[in-house]
Amino acid sequence: MLTGEGFQEVYNLSGGIKAWTGGKAEGPVELNLDMVRGDETPVEIVGLAYGMENSLGTFYRRVKDRTQDKELADLLENLAWIEDKHKQYLVNLYNDTESKQVSREEFEASETSRIMEGGFGIDDFLHKNERFLTSVPSLLDIAMMLETQALDLYIRFSRKTENGVTAEMLLRIADEEKAHLESLGRLRDERA
Amino acid sequence: MFDKMKRLFTPAKSMDADEARAFMRDRNEGTFTLLDVRQPGEYEKEHIPGALLVPLPKLSDSYEKMDKDRPVIVY
Repeated sequence: MLTGEGFQEVYNLSGGIKAWTGGKAEGPVELNLDMVRGDETPVEIVGLAYGMENSLGTFYRRVKDRTQDKELADLLENLAWIEDKHKQYLVNLYNDTESKQVSREEFEASETSRIMEGGFGIDDFLHKNERFLTSVPSLLDIAMMLETQALDLYIRFSRKTENGVTAEMLLRIADEEKAHLESLGRLRDERA
Repeated sequence: MFDKMKRLFTPAKSMDADEARAFMRDRNEGTFTLLDVRQPGEYEKEHIPGALLVPLPKLSDSYEKMDKDRPVIVY
């Protein structure tokens, strides 16, 4: 149908979703879209993403504080460290795009969110998933699920966003999540 | 007229899952469209992250909102 309507390059995914071997997201199109109004400025959207990265790092460190398993603790610290790196990525992304510079300290100071990437609340998620946070393989599955939901949410945010610069930033954040997901997949394969 | 008829009967190419993953991995978001033409309930249960849901019965109403120059992967 699409090729007959002037679309230049159309591919059918053989086997559809059943054949898909990558991560899959869940939830309706509207899931967590109420976190954005649609008219956010770049600094607002980067601030929101910064808060979600920060909360996910907090989550990993809280789980780390509860475990006696050194391998698990090391992995949790590594995952939290990656979220710290993502926060710096966001600061750089913002400052590379906008003329009015905002420091990492300013983003940090304005951060009050308890919502992690993908739109999950820290306490609620911890409570519901405690049993999956006790081994390296299941923790990596949880980490990949969170990043998959995050990737999906950033792209859906971008579709709701009216400001072109803000929408473009959301797509670049989604690219970063996509790369993170690939590296988590490799790590999971190594540990399997 | 001939060109339009030719396009109408030009079958879309296929990609397997590995090819589609590599295609999406190697491109920035926003440079291609991942199109989910299933029903909302199927999308809600599971979908490929970033997919744009346009159920098949509504597809013909959505052509104008989509960028025809971008590659489209449909499932």
